Amino acid sequence: MVEVRVENVRKTYGRVEALRGVSLNFRSGALTAILGPSGCGKTTLLRSIAGFIAVDAGRILFDTEEVGGLPPQRRGTAMVFQNYALWPHMTIFENVGYGLRLQKVPADEVRRRVRKVLELVEIGNLADVESRRPSALSGGQQQRVALARALVVEPKVLLMDEPLSNLDAKVRQRLRVELRRLQKQVGITAIYVTHDQEEALALADTVVLMDQGMIVQAGTPQEIYLKPTTAFAAEFLGVSNQLEGEVTDGKLVVGGQSIPYTGAARGRVTVIFRASDIQMEEPSAPPRAGTVALTGVLEESLFLGAHYRHYIRLAGGMVMADSPDLRRPGPVRPVLPVEKVPVYGEQAT
Amino acid sequence: MFMRRQVLRMAGTVLAAVIIFGPLSSLVIWSFAEKWYWPHLFPQQVGLFYWSKVLQGDMLRALQSGFLIAVVVTVLTLVITVPLAYLLARTPIPFKPVILMIFLLPQAFPQLPVFVNSTTLLYRINQGGKLWGVVLIHMVGALVFAVWTMTAVFKSVPESLEEAAINLGASRLKSFFSVALPLATPGIIASTLLVFLYSLDEFTGTLLVGSPFILTLPVFMYRTSVGYELQVASISALLLMVPGIVLLILLERYMKSEYLSMFGRI
Amino acid sequence: MRPSLRIASLIIALPPLAIVVWLFFIPFLSSAHLSFLREDQWTLRNYSLVWRLYRYDILYTLWIAFVSLAAVLLIAVLLCGYLRVHTNKPVEFLFKIPLFIPFVVVGHAMRVLLAPKGTLNSVLSQVGLINLNDPPSIAFGWMGIAVSLIWKNLALAVLLVLGAYRSVDETYLEAARNFGASAFRQIRDILLPMSAASLAVAGAFMFTSMLASFSVPLMIGSGEPPQMVMIDVYYRINYQGDYGTANALGVVSYLLAMGVAGYYLRTITQKET
Repeated sequence: MVEVRVENVRKTYGRVEALRGVSLNFRSGALTAILGPSGCGKTTLLRSIAGFIAVDAGRILFDTEEVGGLPPQRRGTAMVFQNYALWPHMTIFENVGYGLRLQKVPADEVRRRVRKVLELVEIGNLADVESRRPSALSGGQQQRVALARALVVEPKVLLMDEPLSNLDAKVRQRLRVELRRLQKQVGITAIYVTHDQEEALALADTVVLMDQGMIVQAGTPQEIYLKPTTAFAAEFLGVSNQLEGEVTDGKLVVGGQSIPYTGAARGRVTVIFRASDIQMEEPSAPPRAGTVALTGVLEESLFLGAHYRHYIRLAGGMVMADSPDLRRPGPVRPVLPVEKVPVYGEQAT
Repeated sequence: MFMRRQVLRMAGTVLAAVIIFGPLSSLVIWSFAEKWYWPHLFPQQVGLFYWSKVLQGDMLRALQSGFLIAVVVTVLTLVITVPLAYLLARTPIPFKPVILMIFLLPQAFPQLPVFVNSTTLLYRINQGGKLWGVVLIHMVGALVFAVWTMTAVFKSVPESLEEAAINLGASRLKSFFSVALPLATPGIIASTLLVFLYSLDEFTGTLLVGSPFILTLPVFMYRTSVGYELQVASISALLLMVPGIVLLILLERYMKSEYLSMFGRI
Repeated sequence: MRPSLRIASLIIALPPLAIVVWLFFIPFLSSAHLSFLREDQWTLRNYSLVWRLYRYDILYTLWIAFVSLAAVLLIAVLLCGYLRVHTNKPVEFLFKIPLFIPFVVVGHAMRVLLAPKGTLNSVLSQVGLINLNDPPSIAFGWMGIAVSLIWKNLALAVLLVLGAYRSVDETYLEAARNFGASAFRQIRDILLPMSAASLAVAGAFMFTSMLASFSVPLMIGSGEPPQMVMIDVYYRINYQGDYGTANALGVVSYLLAMGVAGYYLRTITQKET
């Protein structure tokens, strides 16, 4: 098992800075997800580690060995691609065995190891892998084969570039579980790039959030989800409500309300909270301690299956609130527990 | 390691340049050579003597008639091909596979033995050795290029764009002129240039149908080359290369490789 | 389709179709017809003449076409593999140039370059590689024709093969490189098999064009046997006015092209319809 360390890595394409000094440790034997919107530099980082991209500055280390100058094949990584990249003219068996044949492994050992790894990834029918081509398989099965192809060479690091994004939702959820099981079983250091926050949270031991070529936040899925440190992190992790506000003289002015505020932020701020954290009360109900009460009008409620989503217009914008019951449109008081109202200063966005 | 790769790369590029320019460079030297005794590497006397000589003689006439023929061929081909290409790209025109097949035949079989008999047909209607006979024989090849490239061009215009116009009440004709044609214009221009160059460079048909009464530059060059007028032939060859090279440089950025590949036949 | 539209579209199709049918399709059929006629009598004499006079020329033509095609494909497959894996824009541009240089000019340029007293020999004699009293003649033989055909067709082959290689997604190559596949293995194992179909069409097209090459052997041929078939056809008509034998030879050339022509026609029209 290998620990991957990235130190102050930079990469510029023309005038676009894809990586702006990224430093990170990928724990050995753990699955680290790099999460971020498209163009945030996550794929560039992954491909730099694989060796497909030469970085402009910084170091990449596998344990204590610096691999920055090595070509891809000498780094001992194996990659799983979004489009599977299974060679269409080779059979499933030839695809998986290709890496071993390049290493001049004897034919019977290739056969043994390919069979073993295909069993590991649970390719159902092993009988005809030597005659069937990848195109005969479903997308999910193809990605299992691609995973087998990567694992069979026993790489030091497994790199996955949005491996599940081409699959439909159901297959994706099932494969997620299996990927996690497999990675733990093999015990390999794995790096997983995705733009899907749910996927990152479900799969990873550590989630690294990136934006504009920099790391925004790194931590366990729980930390990332529950304690986003910036407005961007909060927003990207699916927090649905965002209000502009201002802090002056110990007061936070937000949504047409002035609320006592003792935090550190000053000036223009962003207030971010989840739809599920809002409770709705009648405007006439008595105020409760430890809450922030806003004033608004419920305009519309949509039934989403698990709950209703209510759209409430405030003086300073629109918020969404989830609740299991249907309410009638009209004046309403959205109420938030104080500890669930993180305030982010302007510079953090 | 890095240095070695750079050096190898440079060497490869130089080798490619030698392979491509080597055969052409002797044309340039010959065109300026007034005295060149073998086996000297360079001519003993260079000058513009042959350039000034050829630019007033038969070559100028060959150049003129070649250009005239190319212009007529291009215009006629364009006019009759654009509507057909549009039909082939858009509608289930009757006998479509047969039509496409007929327009592919001249590319799939040797031309010369066929053109020998085409020449007989043209002489029978008294067009052998005449300008129009040469125009017609050029149009056989030109139509093949034009139909295939322009059909591809119209196919690359999404049909939904036209359907949107028809949906808003435009007629088929109106949608052709206001949507399909403007969007296809760059491709049509590329295809037109291709036809023009084809006609300018056509050799086999011109030799059979036009010679010795109608001379174009390729035929003129052939006659001077086998007659060992090497300076005159080399100057003609250089002039023949000019339009193609200009086109290559102009179209490098804009032309898709499918169109480019058509030039290989000339 | 409405009947009026059917008629309109046929009217539009008529002029271009008429020209190609009149000046290619009918002459094509009439060469088959004329090849069986001699002094207005049906006969096979033309074909027996072809057999007697031209059978070695036919072999000679096939030899040149095969050698040139093999050389062009081999060079293109490797060169394009290199260009696909390591981009080299200048080389790519250089190899487009012959596309725009007509066959006649190529013929003349090679004649000047490769003749016994040509530029190549004078360059070689400067470095003392050849004997001036007996300079080798590459032009005026099969090698000169082959070199010219290779030079001209290489551009087309590079364009087509590189296009096919470029349509192979980068990740297929990265997946192989990831396992340590060298540039050569990437070409052999991935690029070549994945673009085999396009290669076959390009090969078919070039084979016919080489078989039917006329201006190049006319420019740098020796004027003595063996000759390429197209030259035989031309001389037979120009010097002997013997349409019967010329057309029989023409029909033989159609038959030689037939196999690949059929394949070429089928794949191209299938792609379009």
